[in-house]
Formats: sequence, C-alpha cells, structure tokens
Amino acid sequence: MIYYVAAFSLILIGTYAVLVKKNMVKIVLGLSLIDSGVNILLISLGYIKGKTAPIFSTPALKAQNMVDPIPQALVLTAIVIGLAVTALALTIVIRLYDHHKTLDISKIRELKW
Amino acid sequence: MYLDPVLMIAVPLFAAFLIPILGKINKNIAKYVPVLVIGFNLYEAVMLLPVSMIKPVIVIIAAWRPPLGINLTIGPLGNMLALIISLVGFIVSIYNIKFVEEEPNEKFHMLFMLLVAGATGMVLTGDIFNLFVFLEITSISSYALTAFIRHRDSAEAAFKYLVIGSISSTFVLLGVALIYATTGTLNMADIAQKIQSVDPKIAVTAMILLVTGFGVEAEMFPLNGWAPDAYSQAPTPVSAAFGGIVVKAGMYGLARLIFTIFNFHGIFYFLLIMGIITLLIAEMSALRQKQIKRMLAFSSIGQMGLVMMALGLATQEGVVGGLFQMFNHAIIKPLLFLSAGYLVFYSGSKNIEDLDGMGRLKPLTSFFFAFGAFAIMGLPPFSGFWSKLIIISETIRNGFVVLAALALIGSVIEAVYYLRVVGRLYFKKPHEGERTHYVHPTAIVAMTLLTLIVLFVGLYPDFLMTYLKPAAAELLNKSAYIKDVLTAGL
Repeated sequence: MIYYVAAFSLILIGTYAVLVKKNMVKIVLGLSLIDSGVNILLISLGYIKGKTAPIFSTPALKAQNMVDPIPQALVLTAIVIGLAVTALALTIVIRLYDHHKTLDISKIRELKW
Repeated sequence: MYLDPVLMIAVPLFAAFLIPILGKINKNIAKYVPVLVIGFNLYEAVMLLPVSMIKPVIVIIAAWRPPLGINLTIGPLGNMLALIISLVGFIVSIYNIKFVEEEPNEKFHMLFMLLVAGATGMVLTGDIFNLFVFLEITSISSYALTAFIRHRDSAEAAFKYLVIGSISSTFVLLGVALIYATTGTLNMADIAQKIQSVDPKIAVTAMILLVTGFGVEAEMFPLNGWAPDAYSQAPTPVSAAFGGIVVKAGMYGLARLIFTIFNFHGIFYFLLIMGIITLLIAEMSALRQKQIKRMLAFSSIGQMGLVMMALGLATQEGVVGGLFQMFNHAIIKPLLFLSAGYLVFYSGSKNIEDLDGMGRLKPLTSFFFAFGAFAIMGLPPFSGFWSKLIIISETIRNGFVVLAALALIGSVIEAVYYLRVVGRLYFKKPHEGERTHYVHPTAIVAMTLLTLIVLFVGLYPDFLMTYLKPAAAELLNKSAYIKDVLTAGL
C-alpha cells in the first residue's frame, strides 16, 4: 500500500512541477519525477510480500517463492527511455538558455498560435 | 518472396547506428544509406501485402508463442500502414540526399531512420508494451529532429513538443501498468480477450490514459498544441515525415486501442465529436495563418480530425474512408511540405505574402504545390476526392447530417486558404530581387513520384480499395484478430 501512495505522490508532485513552475530545469525535473513515480508503481504491481528476487541462484528456490519478473523487465526499459528523454530535454534547455539568456519559460514566447 | 518481417525493424535500427561509423569513413555514404534501407522496407511491405491480405502473418520471436512472447502481428491494416510509412520514408529520403547539406548531416539521417524504424515497429507489433517502446523511439527522434536547425525558435518548438510528448507517453505507460495489473498479460490479442472480465471502471481509466497518450501523436484537438510549432520550425523533410509517418503511427495506435483492445461503444461518439471539433478549429486557425508551413500544419491537424470522424462511424465503409483519407494525407501532405520548403527557400521568407508570382519564376515547384493543394481540397480527378466522398456520404447514411454539413464547411474553409496561396503564386506580380537557386534533381524525383501516386490513386481508386477493405475488416472484427494471434504456431 505504502508503495502505491509513494508512487502516486511522486506522479502528482511531478505533474505539479511541470504545470506550475516557470523554470525550465524544474520542469525537466518534474518530468523525471513523473517517470520515477510510474516506475515505482510498476514495480509494486509485481511485488508480493515476503517473496524473493526472480533469479534461480540455488536449486532450492521455486518459482512460487518469487516476485513477478515482468514488471521489473518493463521498468528497466522505462528507466532507459526516461534517461534518454531527460538528457535530450536538458540539451534543449541548454540551447534555449544560449539563445535567450534566461531559464524562465514565460519569457520565451516567440511562437504563438 | 519476402524475408523475415523482423528485419523491417532490425535493419533500419542497425543501419541507423552504423551511420556515424560510415560517416567517419566517407561523408558521402551516409546520405545514401536511408534510401537503400527504407527501400528495403518498402520492398518487404509490398511483398508481404498479398500474403497478409489472405491471412495475418504472425512472427513469433525467440520461440515464445503468444501470449507469452513478443510477437509481430502483420495483418492487412498493419501492412498497409507499414507500406505507407516506408513509401513516404523512401521518397523523403530521396529528397534528403541534396536538401540536407549544412549541419552534421549524418546525424540527421540517423535520426530519420530511427523515426522510420520506430513508426514501423508501432504498426507491426502485437504487444502493448512494445507499442509503448516504439512510440518512445518515434517521439524521441521527432523531438531531436525538431530541434535540428540551430535556431532559437526550433529549440522552443522542440521543448514544447518534448514536454507534451513525454507526459503523454507517461500516460501510456500508466495505462499499460493498469492493464497488466488487471489482466496479467501484455499481448494485445490476449488483453482483448480478457478485458471483458475486468472491472469496467478500471478498464475505462486505462482506456482514457491510453487514448490521451496516443491522442497527442494523432493530433486530437486539445492535445495538438505542439503540432503547429513543431511542423513550422522543423526542417522541411521532417515536417513531411511528421505528416506522413509520425501522425499515421499515432492514429494506428489510437485505432488499435479503441477497436481491438477495448470494448466500449461510447468511445466512438467521443471520437466523432472530437474529430469534428479538431477539423473545424484547425481549419479556422489555418485560415488566419501568415506563414505557409504553419498553415500546412493546421491543415494537417484538420485532416486528422476528418480521419477521426470517419473512424468514429465504426462501419465498414466509414473505416475504409478513414484509412483512404490517411493514405491520401500521407502522400499529399509531404508533397505540399516538400514543394513549400523549396518555395520558402527561393523567396527567403516563410510568409505567404512573399510567395507572390512564384508561379512565373519557379513554374515547376509552384506546379507541384498547386497540384497538392487541389488534391488535398478534394477536386475530382485527384485521390483526395474519393476519400472525402466516401466519408461524407457514409456520415449522412448513418444519420449524422449535421456532422456531414460541418465537415463540408471545413472543406470549404480549406479550399479558401489553399486557393488563396495558389492565387498568390500565379496571379500576383513577383517581388523584385535576385533569385539564383534552382530546384535539385533529387527533389524533383521525389515530388514527381508523389504526384504520380496521387494521380494514379485518383484515377484508379478501386486498386487501393481492394487492400483497404480487408484492413477495415480487421479493425471491425476483433474476434478474428484474437483467434489468429493466439492460435499462431500451433
């Protein structure tokens, strides 16, 4: 239960940062927080209390004593994707800073509908 | 004879990461690699077509039969979309040979191939998490390509697109997590089979998350704020690829979700209404644009609104019309973007006013633009006419007369702003000034190919219809899809 609470709080904090903050670095941080929240949520979906990691290290370990391995595989992929997005976002932020000399997103408004 | 369909994803991915190494050896190789590799994809898609029309090709990877392993499901629909994606990718990469000259151009070709690989993966995969991964490959390369020109506005457009895009893909991941938690499977056919027994509240939540996520890529109305900026600031071939590749893959994801995976009829009304709102708002915004690429971007959103409306009818004819419109849009919009890119290049300005008299100065490029404009408006000899005719008549047949009238109003607005540009091209005096640029032979080849396809499909629509009918039937008959996938390899 505590894991779900943690996951959803992270997602909400991240969404808050993206929606409210004006600083672009904080927006990227918010995106990263949402990602981590979803990852924790995925891991906790596959977690069963008292079970061990799904690795057949000794012959005594049986499959029914392990947690679900699929969410862990999914999260591994999702972490890599999150890393790529964050890195790309920061690159773009650096380039925006070079051009505009500010990190305040409300001051960058060349493009409008 | 076709090779293993997995190669359609593996070869572009491999070649994309090979390009930087090839670029080290010889600068000139890099720009021919995409033509070869995407040409291979095109060959595969064409060769698979007669096979998948009869029975979907299910590719089992690493000997894990579905629902356990990841599988590729190449039915008529996925194959048609893979064909569209590789066709547009192939033509745009011919155009790229000469257009992308400045900048580190091997990076451009690498990102472009990643884009094609991701989009192809999206339409071929049968696994919902795989769909998410390919969605991310497509969108990350799109963000990077949007920011490719080192200009302040392109970075701004890319940042907007990135924020919207990454939040949307988080929604997709949340939806996938909910589905996995309740059904215990990631295979799309298996989910479709088990979703009936899931608590409807959870299923609706998952559907809303997924539809929002894919709606961003498919340019659904409130979620398309990124599109005008990204289209207008990205390099021209990338704008063409957005219209022909990224949006098509997003729309496929949306269609697959609502038709195959979930089982709610209300969503079709939602799609009808969102489609018409998207159409009208985009066409009205396009009318007051001063920049040509921005205008084309709004027109692209409007076309996708029409597709959504057609899919929302959820009848055989309606879905055929929607797919036909997707095909037309995928061919005509790149033609418009590629020719507009050269017009902008000649006049040195993105504004519509500065294109006056281009029809006399640059007859060939202006002809291509005018041809594309007439085709997308839906004048009779061109392909745009048939898809609009099917959609409008099917809407009326289903009793949505008001919607059909609104869609026609949208078409009239569209005709107004396209004719305004074409009129300026031909009936205004050119501005004074020196213009020495010439259109490149590769660009002429690319645009001529697109023109010929538009003309051919316009004259022989039945040729395309024979392939679109099974594709629409695949969407509407989900039990056949489930059976085909789950009995594969037995």
